[in-house]
Amino acid sequence: MNKKRILLVDDEKSFTNLLKLNLEDTGNYEVRVENWPEDAVQAAREFKPNLILLDIIMPRMPGGNVAAELQGDPELKNTPIVFLTAAVRRQHVEENEGLLCDFPCLVKPASVDEVVKMIEKHAR
Amino acid sequence: MPVQTDIAGLPVIKVLLVEDNTADAHLLRLLLNEILSIRYELKHVARLKEAIEVLDRETFDVLLADLTLPDSYGFDTFKTLHAHSSALPILVLSGVDDETLAVRAVREGAQDYLVKGRVDAQALSRAITYAIERDRIETALEESEKHYRYLLESITDYTYTVKLLDGKPVQSIHSPACVSVTGYTAEDYEQNPDLWIKMVPEADRPAVLSQVDVALAGRTPDPVEHRILHKNGQVRWVRNSIVPSLDTQGRLIAYDGLIADITERKRAEEKLVNSEAFYHSLVENLPQFILRKDVTERFTFANQRFCNILGKSLKEIIGKTDFDFYPPDLASKYQRDDRFVIETGKTFETIEENVSPNGETIYVNVVKTPIFDGKGKIIGIQGIFWDITERKRWEERLQRANEELARSEAALRKSHEELKAAQLQLIQAEKMESVATLAAGVAHEVKNPLAILMMGVNFLNRRVGNDESSVTVLKEMQEAINRADSITRGLLEFSSSRQLAVKPRDLNELIEATLQLVRHEITANEINLTKDFAPNLPPVAVDKNQIQQVFVNVFMNAIQAMPKGGSLKLRTYPKQMTESTFSEGSRKAANFWVGDTVAVAEVEDSGSGIPQENLAKIFDPFFTTKPTGVGTGLGLPVSKKIIELHGGSLDIRNVPGGGVRAIIMLKGHKPQTTK
Repeated sequence: MNKKRILLVDDEKSFTNLLKLNLEDTGNYEVRVENWPEDAVQAAREFKPNLILLDIIMPRMPGGNVAAELQGDPELKNTPIVFLTAAVRRQHVEENEGLLCDFPCLVKPASVDEVVKMIEKHAR
Repeated sequence: MPVQTDIAGLPVIKVLLVEDNTADAHLLRLLLNEILSIRYELKHVARLKEAIEVLDRETFDVLLADLTLPDSYGFDTFKTLHAHSSALPILVLSGVDDETLAVRAVREGAQDYLVKGRVDAQALSRAITYAIERDRIETALEESEKHYRYLLESITDYTYTVKLLDGKPVQSIHSPACVSVTGYTAEDYEQNPDLWIKMVPEADRPAVLSQVDVALAGRTPDPVEHRILHKNGQVRWVRNSIVPSLDTQGRLIAYDGLIADITERKRAEEKLVNSEAFYHSLVENLPQFILRKDVTERFTFANQRFCNILGKSLKEIIGKTDFDFYPPDLASKYQRDDRFVIETGKTFETIEENVSPNGETIYVNVVKTPIFDGKGKIIGIQGIFWDITERKRWEERLQRANEELARSEAALRKSHEELKAAQLQLIQAEKMESVATLAAGVAHEVKNPLAILMMGVNFLNRRVGNDESSVTVLKEMQEAINRADSITRGLLEFSSSRQLAVKPRDLNELIEATLQLVRHEITANEINLTKDFAPNLPPVAVDKNQIQQVFVNVFMNAIQAMPKGGSLKLRTYPKQMTESTFSEGSRKAANFWVGDTVAVAEVEDSGSGIPQENLAKIFDPFFTTKPTGVGTGLGLPVSKKIIELHGGSLDIRNVPGGGVRAIIMLKGHKPQTTK
């Protein structure tokens, strides 16, 4: 069975390592980590993920900009993006039906189950 | 005779001898020394100049002078000496050949002359003593004459008689004193028959003549006071009294007149009249009311002003008392004041409140002083009073202005206090704001490590399998992460100032919905719930989720305050604000303004209440009395913040008798101002 390719963009190395471990541990996902937001678009072009998990508060380039760049790329514009961030409050996202600026959003700290649920819902 | 005597009792006669012939001088000295009954003290000088000098220094009884001197000759010598010492008797010494000169000197004032060589001692002494005596008598006479002349001139009355023949004046005889009054002598009147009427100024003549007519008719006329022109041109006043004089047959033969000089009296009278006019003018023109009473309280005087307020004439007032014009209580008050002045001799001063005839209240300043007679005895009182209503009114106005000033000062002080309180609140708010900013930063930074830990725990959970103790450890780690997460979440709630999704809602419904969320806790803790919801509550514009969060917080606090059960009372009611309110820790000026309609919700528990020392800290972030894990210390600060974002207020206070009441006030929804 085809594993879903997940691109994880987050400057927090420990977090990306652990999330990659957890997701790959399920046996359902192939995870590529990109800790440098500037390189995220290039990585996506190469990796062609089924879904991108995107942090928002990152040095040099906020997640919002990365998302905009991804959407601006003809190859990538249909790749689903899910924000995974500590910058917003859970309640706020819940009140907005799980959306943040029209993107689905996961609030840190999120459990692996929550992440998996989100991926399954939005990945293509 | 000279009064001076020597030790032996002999008269002493001091003689100055002016003689250039030493031999003659010597001879005279010898002659005088022969006289034993009188001691002559002779001083001899040879020149006129020396004589003058000696006369300036010393006094002499007599001067013997030879008129032929080295520095003066003949009659000039006598003239100089006589002019220099006019009171001193002078005896001229002459030679045989110049007796003519000596005689001339005697005619001009010398007492006598002696021919040198022809007098013996006795004759010389006699001549000297006679000269002195004669001079003394002459002086006395002169003085007496002067005295009488003065007396005569001082007489201010004189008489005259007009003799009549067939009813016509034929002769007038004036007594000598007429000269002192008119300046004319009796002879003047005799020689000039019309003088008596000519000296009367034309204006006064008719009165004088008609007086004479009455006398000529044989009756006694009234005295007439008229002016005359003194011979020296001065105008004098006289009083002329005439009495007809009849013979034994009753025929009018003359009339006698007495003229008395009354110029001084007239002048005094005139002065008096002037002075009276002066005081009258003062008394009547002063703006004061002036009155006088005697010691029996009867009016003796009232000025026109006072007459006017009594509405009576002066005649009607004099002799009356206060009881004739004033009500009895007022009259007795006035008399009491008068008695004080009469008995103590002191000035009485007061301000009285009176009612004027037209019913207005007026104020008068009254000063009463004693009146003394010439001997210093008190014979009455003088009262002066004047209207000070205007002044009084101004004083009252001033007083009112002062009070107003005091009031506005108090108001100012109050608003100053309020400002101070507001400033304190602002400082508190500022502090809260800093805490919020800090909290937001901390929360974000904490969340990332928590996310990592969560991933780690998730990973290990899958790997540990069925190792029970490992499962337990991981479970506790998971809970710790959840707790930390809930704290950071609270921090973010507190610090967020995001947009509210406000909609008009019914507060009662909102509370009911919230109660569903805590129903389990209420029943589990055996809490008796009572609800008293006002049906007419105004709708409130709120963010439903936010307000629900507040109520959950408040309910949970109440429930946790009653671990052994109790009662939870809910009450809502509308309220019309009658004063503006401020809430501590808020940057906003006022939550409510006067006139706002407010929906109030009260949540009251029956717990033990909040200790006084904690009451001020309950809205401070992280302040909690709950055990770790039960409270974050953020519930109330966040709730307060939410309510304030809604423009409302959250107030927590102890209820007398135990328990805590949370009061939430939210502004009534006004459609036109709500976005």
